[in-house]
Amino acid sequence: VLALVLGTIVAMLRVSAIAPLRAIGAAYVEFLRNVPLLVHMFFWVFGMPFVGIVLPEVVGALLGLAFYTSAFVAEAIRAGIQAVDRGQVEAAHALGLTYGQRMRYVVLPQAFATTIPPLGNLAIALTKNTSVASAVLVPELMYQTEVVSARSFAIYSTFALAALLYLALTIPLSRLVAALELRLNRYRVA
Amino acid sequence: VDLARLLEPRYWTVFLEWEIWLFLLDGLRATLTIAIVAIVLSLIFGTLLALGRLSPWRALRWPIALYVEIVRALPVLFIIFFVFFGGAAGITLFGVKISWTDPIVAAILALTLYTSAVNAEIVRAGILSVERGQVEAARSLGLSYVQTMQHVVLPQALRRMVPPQVSQMITLVKDTSLAYVIGTLELLNKVKILYSGFETGPLQGLFVAACIYFVINYSLSLLSRRLEVQPLQQVRAEAGTV
Repeated sequence: VLALVLGTIVAMLRVSAIAPLRAIGAAYVEFLRNVPLLVHMFFWVFGMPFVGIVLPEVVGALLGLAFYTSAFVAEAIRAGIQAVDRGQVEAAHALGLTYGQRMRYVVLPQAFATTIPPLGNLAIALTKNTSVASAVLVPELMYQTEVVSARSFAIYSTFALAALLYLALTIPLSRLVAALELRLNRYRVA
Repeated sequence: VDLARLLEPRYWTVFLEWEIWLFLLDGLRATLTIAIVAIVLSLIFGTLLALGRLSPWRALRWPIALYVEIVRALPVLFIIFFVFFGGAAGITLFGVKISWTDPIVAAILALTLYTSAVNAEIVRAGILSVERGQVEAARSLGLSYVQTMQHVVLPQALRRMVPPQVSQMITLVKDTSLAYVIGTLELLNKVKILYSGFETGPLQGLFVAACIYFVINYSLSLLSRRLEVQPLQQVRAEAGTV
């Protein structure tokens, strides 16, 4: 959710008419998405105490994940907005629709349709990326798996169980995304 | 909150020392070794898997589909741990016990396993994106299956695959940092050692690491944009001479 909010703001920056704002948006996206997620998490968890800001590991990991993902969200939304044909906006303008009406009835419904599949894929990636938090000692599924396998020496069975749990999360998500995509495509063609 | 510590010069001047850079470059070498070997291997295996998944034999298609779908749905970190601990425990293949304990080997294996599955989907999508009618047209013009693939399908498919392949490479470069968790002495780990020893502050160290990763990955994405544009121009030029 945090990533969505941040990403939308940055996407707005990137499509704005003011050049410096666009540059800031572009720099934000390019820098954040080209740096590994683990570095983001280290930054919040091990880096911030250096300037006196001590966050619980969970919060730090969450912030790292949110900022990292927001760069990808921004790109997805920007692509969605730009995919809407310019002629349609002009047509709506010619028909006498106000800016708000144009956005609401013409641009956003279509932008939404093109944005849903990439956003869904991001949600799947994010689910998988939560595992990275184990590296900064948040007791999530991956961390617990390591603990259990280290204690019990039953490596393969513990890992198989964890794999099943991950699959139980990601496969329904990807099914949902595929279904949504199908429905939105139908809507777009109609 | 003490932001002044960020600007304290002694935390930054260490990055002017050659020994520090040698130390970091050593980590960067490990990072690049893992990334390059894994990229090459997964390009090969990914293509093979894609061809296998498109083949007419069901006995080949199904196991590959199962592998690709499961591996893609798992976190990379999970696969890294699995391969590392699994390698330490050893596996028995055809009566021969194989085991590995080198974290670099484990990282390469794990990233190859994962990226092959992703690449398989990219290659498959690329081949499928070539319109069926073109294949039929080529066949009816008397081209053989190999000729059709070589002159009609692959040139178009390869061009369409470039952007997703490169972005997968960028993901892979970033994922090498996950090898930190199994004790690989790659870039991120080296930076952590630096600031754990108070050579520099964590924020400064991480910033330098972030910049190095950024330079590698951003150049990759610029390269991809160039490759994306060039072949098209080439095609137009060729079309112009016909």
